[in-house]
Amino acid sequence: MAPARGALSPTFPDASPAERALADRFMAGTVDGRRGRAFEAFARTGLPHRRLEGWRWTDFRAALATLAPVTATGHGQALPVADGAVTLRFSGEEIFLPDSLPDGLILHTKADAPALAGAEEAPMAALAAALAGRGTGPDTVILEVCGRVAEPVHIVCEGGGAEVNFARIAVIVRPGGALDLVESHLGGAGLSSVLIEIDVAASGQLRRTLSQRGDAHEAQAITALVHLDEGASYIQTALAFGARVARIETRLVHRGTGSAAVLNGVYLCAGGQHVDFTSHVRHGAPACTTRQVTKGAVLKGGRGVFQGKFLVPRDIGQHTDADMQHQALLLEQGAEVFAKPELEIYADDVECAHGNTSGALDPDMLFYLRQRGIPLTEARAMLTQAFIAEALAAAGGGTHEALSAAASRFLSGVSL
Amino acid sequence: MLKLTDLTASVGEAGEARTILNGLSLEVPAGEVHAIMGPNGAGKSTLSYVLTGKAGYEVSGGSAWLDGHDLLALDPEERAALGLFLSFQYPLEVPGVPVMTFVRAAMNAQRKARGEAEISAPDFIKMARDIGKELNLSADMLKRPLNVGFSGGEKKRLEIFQMRMLEPRFAILDETDSGLDIDALRIVAEGVNALRSPERGMLVITHYQRLLDYIVPDKVHVLSHGRVILTGGPELALRLEKEGYDGIEGAAA
Ligand SMILES: Nc1ncnc2c1ncn2[C@@H]1O[C@H](COP(=O)(O)OP(=O)(O)O)[C@@H](O)[C@H]1O
Ligand SMILES: [Mg+2]
Repeated sequence: MAPARGALSPTFPDASPAERALADRFMAGTVDGRRGRAFEAFARTGLPHRRLEGWRWTDFRAALATLAPVTATGHGQALPVADGAVTLRFSGEEIFLPDSLPDGLILHTKADAPALAGAEEAPMAALAAALAGRGTGPDTVILEVCGRVAEPVHIVCEGGGAEVNFARIAVIVRPGGALDLVESHLGGAGLSSVLIEIDVAASGQLRRTLSQRGDAHEAQAITALVHLDEGASYIQTALAFGARVARIETRLVHRGTGSAAVLNGVYLCAGGQHVDFTSHVRHGAPACTTRQVTKGAVLKGGRGVFQGKFLVPRDIGQHTDADMQHQALLLEQGAEVFAKPELEIYADDVECAHGNTSGALDPDMLFYLRQRGIPLTEARAMLTQAFIAEALAAAGGGTHEALSAAASRFLSGVSL
Repeated sequence: MLKLTDLTASVGEAGEARTILNGLSLEVPAGEVHAIMGPNGAGKSTLSYVLTGKAGYEVSGGSAWLDGHDLLALDPEERAALGLFLSFQYPLEVPGVPVMTFVRAAMNAQRKARGEAEISAPDFIKMARDIGKELNLSADMLKRPLNVGFSGGEKKRLEIFQMRMLEPRFAILDETDSGLDIDALRIVAEGVNALRSPERGMLVITHYQRLLDYIVPDKVHVLSHGRVILTGGPELALRLEKEGYDGIEGAAA
C-alpha cells in the first residue's frame, strides 16, 4: 500500500514547495502501511486551505509557502506545573522521556505508527501521524493511566528552530484512572503538528490544560481526538496566543452513557497572530453533557476563529445536555473574529443551547474604572481579564495561576 | 478650589448636537459643601460627567479649574489622580472584578500618578475593614464583583465606600440619596460628613431636600436648563421643597 514517490504526484496536482518538502520527508524514511495511509489521507487535501470545508478562515497552505527553519527556538517558558510532574519533551528530531514514572502510569513507545481512524477529517493530524518520529525517536508515545495518578504529566513541544516538529501521543485512561495532562506548545518550528489521541474508559478522568505560543513565521496545529466511555470525565482548558496560523482542534466522541466533557478556551491575538479553535463533539451515547466556553480578545491585525459543532444523532443522543458559548472582544479597530457555532440535533429529548457574541469593551465600564484613577490601558486589561477568567477557571495541574498571569502580561503589555 | 465659568457643553453628533450646559458658573471654595438642586433633565448628571471627563460631551465654551488645574485638558484618570471623585447616580456592574481588587488598583494607580508609594496589603485590608464596618458592608460583600447583584442601596453605599477609601480632594455626589431608605440615608450622610475637612470640597447633587437635613450645605445652587439660576444658603432648599421648581424658576426668570 505504500505509495511510491511518483504515486504521490496525482494527489498533489499543484503541490506547493512546502507540500513537496513534506512528501520528500515522508519518502525518506521506511514506509509502512499505516504510515502510508496516514500520509495518503493528508495528501488527499495537502496542507489545508481556505477552499476546504472547515478551513475557510485558517489557510495553512497560504501561510506556509516553503518549509524553512526559524530563528526562534521556542517562545516563552513551559508552564510551571505542580511539583513532581513528569515531563515529556518533543523537540524537532528529538524526544526526551522521563526516567521514572509515578505510580499508576505506564509509558510505552511504538516504533511503528498505529492506525489513525478518522484521518480524512483531520489532515494536520494525519500529517503528524505520517511524520512523527521520522528521525530517531519512536513514532508514538503511549501513556497508560492505570490508577489515579497524583502527579501531572507535562508535554512540552518546542521545535528548537527546526523546519518541522511532529509529535504523536496517545493517552489511555483505564477504568477509574485519573490524570492531569498539561501541554506547553512553544512553537520554535516552521511547522508544528501535534496529535494527541485520548481514550478515557468508564469512570476515568482526564483533565487537559494547554498553552500555545508562536510567532508570525510559524504554523502550528494541535489536534486532539478524544473518546469518552461510560461515566468518563474530560476537562479541557486551552490558552492560545497564536502564530501565523495556529489551529487547536478537538474532535470528541461521547461513546458511553453519561460521560461529561468541558471544552474551554481563550485566545489572545496580537497583530499578525491567528488562533483557530475548532471543535466537533458527537453525542454518540445517551445522557452525556458538554459544556463549552470560548473567550477571545483580539487586537488590530489579529485574527480569532471559533468553529464549534455539536452533533446529536437521533436515537443514541437522547437526554443530551450541551451548551456552547463563544464571546469575543474586539479590542481595536481592525481586529477580526470569525465564528461559526453549529448545533446539529436529530434527537428530540435534549437540552442544547449556544450563544455567540463579539463586540468592544463597554465604554461606560471603562469610564467607571478611569474615573477611579485606573489608566486606560490598565482598565482595559482589568476588564478583559475579568471577561476571560471564566474560561480559564477549570485549568488543572497547578497551572491556573500561571495561565492567568500569562494572560495578564499579554493584556497589560497592550498599549492601545 | 473648584471654579466653573460659563461652562457650555452639548451631546450628540455635530449635526444634531444639543446644548445641555448653557453658561454654567459656580465656585466651591476649599472646606465647603455645596448642593446642586434642580428638576429632572436640568443637566445635573451632565455636569458631573463633563467635570470628570466622560466621552460623548462636547465642551464648546467656558472653563473648569480645580486647584489651579485645567480639568478639561486632562484624561479622566488624571482628573481622578488630582483627587476628583464622582459617586455615580447609577453605579455600573463590573462582572469579574472584585470590589477589593478594584479599589486597591484604583488607590495604587492614583498614588503612582502622584509619585507616592503603594499602600501595603495589611494597611489596605485594615482600612477597608474599618470603613466597610462603618458603612455596614460586610467583608464578604467586598469580595464580590463590583456592584454585581447589589441592591440599589448597597450600590450607593459602595460608592461612598470607594470615596472614603480614595479620600478625594473634591467629591461630586450625584443623587446618592435616591433609592435609599432613611437608615441607609443616614449611613451615607455620615460617610460623607466624615470626609468634610478644610482642604476638601464637595458638590452634592440632589433632587430632594431630605439629604440636606443630614449633609448641611454651605450653599445651595438651583440648576435649570443648564445654568445656575439661583444661589442661596441652606434655607433655599427648604423654599424649593415648599414652592417647587416651577415657583423658583418663575421667580428667577
Ligand atoms: N448622552 C445623551 N444623549 C442625548 N441627550 C442626553 C444625553 N445625556 C443627557 N441628555 C439629555 O440632557 C438633559 C440633561 O440630562 P441630565 O444631565 O441627566 O439631567 P439631570 O441629571 O439633571 O436629571 C436631559 O434632557 C437628557 O435627556
Ligand atoms: Mg441625573
